[in-house]
Amino acid sequence: MGRITTDSKIAKDGGGKALADQKDLDAVVTQVTRPGDFDDFWERVLAGLAEVPLEPLIAPETMRSNADVDVSRVYYRSLDGIEISGWYCVPTQGEGPFPAVIRFPGYKGEPGMRRDWGRKEVVSLTVAVRGKLGSNADFNPGYPGLLTHGIEGRDTYGYKGVISDCVRGIDFLLSRPEVDPQRIFACGSSQGGGLTLITSALRPEIKGGVAGYPFLCCYPESMQMLRSYPYDELTCYARANPDRVEEMLETLRYYDAVNFAPGIKCPMVVGIALEDEVCPPGTSYAAYQALTGPKELWLFPDSGHGNAHEYPAKETAWLEQQISKSQTGGSND
Amino acid sequence: MTERGTDVDAMWDSLDRQLEQIPLELEQERDAFYSQSEYDVYRLHYTGLDGYQLFSWLSVPLSANGPVPALLRMPDYGSVHDIVYTPLRSSAVVMNPTHRGQRHSDSQFQAEYPGLLTEGIDRLHTFVMMRVFADALRAVDVLLAQTSAQVGAVALTGQGLGGTLSLFAAARRPRITAVAADTPLALGHPDVLDHELAYPLDELNDYLRVYPHRSEAILASTAPLDPVAAAPKVQVPVLLSLGSRDRGLCPLPIGEQLAARLPDCDVRVYDGGSEGGGHPHGVVRAAWLRERIGLV
Repeated sequence: MGRITTDSKIAKDGGGKALADQKDLDAVVTQVTRPGDFDDFWERVLAGLAEVPLEPLIAPETMRSNADVDVSRVYYRSLDGIEISGWYCVPTQGEGPFPAVIRFPGYKGEPGMRRDWGRKEVVSLTVAVRGKLGSNADFNPGYPGLLTHGIEGRDTYGYKGVISDCVRGIDFLLSRPEVDPQRIFACGSSQGGGLTLITSALRPEIKGGVAGYPFLCCYPESMQMLRSYPYDELTCYARANPDRVEEMLETLRYYDAVNFAPGIKCPMVVGIALEDEVCPPGTSYAAYQALTGPKELWLFPDSGHGNAHEYPAKETAWLEQQISKSQTGGSND
Repeated sequence: MTERGTDVDAMWDSLDRQLEQIPLELEQERDAFYSQSEYDVYRLHYTGLDGYQLFSWLSVPLSANGPVPALLRMPDYGSVHDIVYTPLRSSAVVMNPTHRGQRHSDSQFQAEYPGLLTEGIDRLHTFVMMRVFADALRAVDVLLAQTSAQVGAVALTGQGLGGTLSLFAAARRPRITAVAADTPLALGHPDVLDHELAYPLDELNDYLRVYPHRSEAILASTAPLDPVAAAPKVQVPVLLSLGSRDRGLCPLPIGEQLAARLPDCDVRVYDGGSEGGGHPHGVVRAAWLRERIGLV
């Protein structure tokens, strides 16, 4: 057997200076500005979305269900009539209506189910936004690909649908009699963190959220700071289409989580790994700074993107605390 | 494919003979959109076991002159295998191959998550994961056959499933120089079901809840994929990372057995779950790989 080392400080020996520290974060000033018609644009998107019938379907998944939780694959309609799927876990014990946690997915991974919430008498929904398996029959730009899909204009951009799919996840929860409409919470990491911020701004039914390592923040700076995907997709697009860079950046102003942050009224946590080479720490911090409601910042000094050891337990504990503090508001019946 | 009860080595030898008889039919297509000033990006299409059409990303440094060190990152358990991203791409050939069922290799079979781990598991000859392992061996053959660069030392890396695929490929392909395996998937270990599991390994429990009488069958089907059993055949240096709270990929007691059976293993245990060492280990791994493939 070889040498055994149990030491979480190895990075400092081998890695030199951390990618960011608190001083670096405090110095962040983003170039991102909010378009004058930002609110009008999103009001129009939501109004169009409201005209699409939800058509919710629930398909029980016997193999994934257990004594604590009934698991189903669920389906609903979103923008352009596209069918979106998700994993839906309902507690088998306890008396509803239950609080609910909606989880938004990362960029390339498939969303997993959170059966553990069932034991805590909490409903959970994980959304497979368009392009994910189960939601890609009519929209499938791939990874890489999604970040630049239709980026020529704010109305053609692929994320208009992706964000709509998250908004529609709230509509799905509101359609369920076992869900307490006053106790809906949101979370996600990476792209899921960005979508947590954005959806919480668009849907006041969300009563609190945790945005981990948020993606979709400060696109101009992110393109300049790092050469890692997915942001590098934008750099590749700019190199291939130099005459379209201005319109690309103009589109992105309508999709930057920093511009959504001031609209969030519920308590929100932003978690940042200071060695994050995928979502630059300063860009996530800009989103945190833009929050005007109750907020909390978690910094993970010795961690990279998505891998702070203590993050999952902290996220669960914070959501449990918010749920226990919240008031039962009745059912959707 | 061989049914249970037969010798595992003979089964792998038979699988390799089948692979040898299938032409690679390798096609390389430069991707102008993702190629950059320091390296070219290629899309590789080739044929695997059963005539299955497979895909890989490849990046080749433009400074290449003579044999170039290569890094092959085996796919994790998930539908997407990344386009090549590592700072090493400026000085090394880097290949990210997909296995059947993943995106770009899904024209004949689309994997489900959860689901892939138990697809056809009750019989070895129908078990998809056996073919996933064959695709990993095929990827090494493709790396050595591609014509964009002359390949020198070859290191394999991967996390979870990718870690185990790296170990098996090193056991079966003598051209490999080193392996960096993070929290390798412990599928096939005889004690795996004794542990409290999380996904993806917990897919085994899901399956047994519905088919409780099939536990022996699934242990037999998965046994040839046990990294602990294959470990003594890995004759190259291995950097192994484990998470002390890992329940989904490589529970610590199994990881410790693996480390003990690898002939040349530097094992690092971190206070984490399936993410293993996270950023600190990433720094260690990059330095270790650079040294092993001559990029110091």
